[in-house]
Amino acid sequence: MKAGLRVITILVILSMTLVACGTANTGSNAKVDLTFWYWAESDAPGADAWMTETVAAYKAVKPNVTINIVPQSTDTLISAFQSAVTAKSGPDIASQWATGPVLGFVWQDAVAPISDYVSTDEMSNWLNTNENTYNGKVWGAPMYLIGIEIMYNKDMFAQAGVTAPTSGRWTWDEFLAACDKLKAAGITPFVAGDKDGYNGAWWFSHVGMQGLDSTDDLRQAIVGNKDFTDPHYTGWYSALDDMVKKGYFNQDVMSLDLSQGAQAFSQGKGAMSWGTDGMIKQALTDLGADKVGVMRTPTYGTGKLADAGNATQSITFFITKWSKHPQEAADFLAYLHTAERLSAWYKATGVIAADKRFDRTLVTDPVLQQMMQWETTGTQIWLENFLPGQLDSDADLTAGQMVFSQSGSPADAAALWQRAAETWRNQHPDELTNWKNWQQ
Amino acid sequence: MPQKAAKTKPLARRSKIEPYLYLAPATILVLLVFVYPIVEIFHTSLLQNTASGIKTLGLTNYRLVFQDPVFWEALGNNGKLLFSVPIMTVFALFIAILLFEHVRGWLVYRGIIFMPYILAIPVVGMTFVYLLGLNGIFNTLLRGAGLGFIAQDWLGSARWVIPSISVVIIYREMGFGVVLFLARLMSLEKEILEAAAIDGANWWQKHVYVTLPQLSGVIEFFVVVELITMLSWVFAYVFTMTGGGPGFASTVMEFYIWKHAFAFRSPGIASALAVVLLLATTFLIILQLRLRRRSFEEAA
Repeated sequence: MKAGLRVITILVILSMTLVACGTANTGSNAKVDLTFWYWAESDAPGADAWMTETVAAYKAVKPNVTINIVPQSTDTLISAFQSAVTAKSGPDIASQWATGPVLGFVWQDAVAPISDYVSTDEMSNWLNTNENTYNGKVWGAPMYLIGIEIMYNKDMFAQAGVTAPTSGRWTWDEFLAACDKLKAAGITPFVAGDKDGYNGAWWFSHVGMQGLDSTDDLRQAIVGNKDFTDPHYTGWYSALDDMVKKGYFNQDVMSLDLSQGAQAFSQGKGAMSWGTDGMIKQALTDLGADKVGVMRTPTYGTGKLADAGNATQSITFFITKWSKHPQEAADFLAYLHTAERLSAWYKATGVIAADKRFDRTLVTDPVLQQMMQWETTGTQIWLENFLPGQLDSDADLTAGQMVFSQSGSPADAAALWQRAAETWRNQHPDELTNWKNWQQ
Repeated sequence: MPQKAAKTKPLARRSKIEPYLYLAPATILVLLVFVYPIVEIFHTSLLQNTASGIKTLGLTNYRLVFQDPVFWEALGNNGKLLFSVPIMTVFALFIAILLFEHVRGWLVYRGIIFMPYILAIPVVGMTFVYLLGLNGIFNTLLRGAGLGFIAQDWLGSARWVIPSISVVIIYREMGFGVVLFLARLMSLEKEILEAAAIDGANWWQKHVYVTLPQLSGVIEFFVVVELITMLSWVFAYVFTMTGGGPGFASTVMEFYIWKHAFAFRSPGIASALAVVLLLATTFLIILQLRLRRRSFEEAA
């Protein structure tokens, strides 16, 4: 009897333990490990430190959730995730550049739509979600916004007798006239670096976009319904070529990469340059807060996108299809958008957050306030994001280099676009189908 | 007797199998390391991602590769780089002979000339990026010497980029040739050179008619190794110095393969390109073996 009682007691204890374990594994407090392949530091220095702080803070909010951050390198951001997609195994949350790269993975069935896990209310605060909207779903979360405009050196303008546009924007003729005056005064009008091709791509996203009516207009040429040699798409290369021939750029434009071009502006080597918020902030520090102004890209085209802004979320964080904890992953991404985290983000990086709840009073410099105003008003399109990767690399970046190095004419640049698009269409029938079906 | 036969039979069978057992680990390793990747690359080169999934499409990828103008441009750039090989061979030979003749401080010179070869290519590449920029050290020196009209954007000009990369490759690879040739020179019988000198041969004749024929084997080896290098080992130079630009002016086959494999998500195209490169390299190796055989036959 004694032995029988002992057996029953043991069985009861065992069953209670099992029940307890079962509850722990399936309840809301279950231990969850999430792996996050994270990239942002290159765009926003300070982003890694902010993320470390955020993960620690989240642990206090959700003690059962552990986030393992795996920083990603720029050079292998796409290829590393592609390998994960092939193996159908990898992180729970990943980072990719918005639109083209993200949708490329959506089409490979590697991404879970974040709009399935985050409330519409919450997402209505996020900015630029249109960059990753496809088939009525939003596929990733933005974190910050990067805008690119022209920064100018006020002293050099004064020296050459150039007056900055009062409206914040010149016409193309006014821009050329200013370049002429600056050159006559012995000042390099526009400093840039195109060794890596990205400066040319920025001209495409700023000036090339102005002739288009929509991103779908561009898509028509990508899928082969229109021809890239049509001046509608590539006629603007003549304007760029004209500027190069007139000597409006620094002579070593092909010796410098994009960031070195911006540094040259900060070193006072030219009157104007493209600048992201970060680059402008650096120039304000290097040249002095009262020495730098910003203006929008001069008006060149007459398309419906001529007035569109160019702010982009740059990187997108998304949940992978194979993640066993998509809801927990979505909760963490939503946590990044809490007011306290958004403010901490700006303090750590100086880059504005892609969220309506971001405290705008944190931005105190008038130049950066102006940038924020442009970045958050009206339609925002970074056109380069709407190109297949191969076309961006083999046409957008390359055609710009061709013109900057004067190794080809504007007509050669246009022909290169057409040729690269045909090559891409032949080599990627799978991607072509997706691009054809993509209603923008 | 029958009992003895019964005992030796398994032994004989074992001795037949035994060598294969010894060879098996190495054979399996070679198959895994060398044969499997080659077979896999061939297989992948026949596949293509289509709208309805991955399909075997025969030689379609090869056709697409040959239709792509960038492929021909990349191949042409590899071809231009091949011209570096005779230049570096002549320079390496000349320097090796000078060192062999024990010019003062030759041991130090040998070390200095070999040093670039042991440096990582990205280090060499990045150094030359700073040296060869429009406002880099090289052009600054030219301007300082009153030769500013020669100054170029050496890596940013479509015309000069391949010759500039060639110079960097020659600078780094030449050290290997010098050490190789010098080692062979050290093993030559000095009496032959002395006899040539006694017979009245001048410096030029001595080396052209006596030294070079004896170096032919090692020269041949160096040339073939460098030809293969120019076809399939220049990625790191291009990647660090120019990224294939401006335009496609410095894009080479390896760089093109890398772009398709890792940036453009087209493993089929990348594999087809890799097969083409492999065949080109194999052709060079066969050529070298044939040349070697012929030179042996002639010597015999």
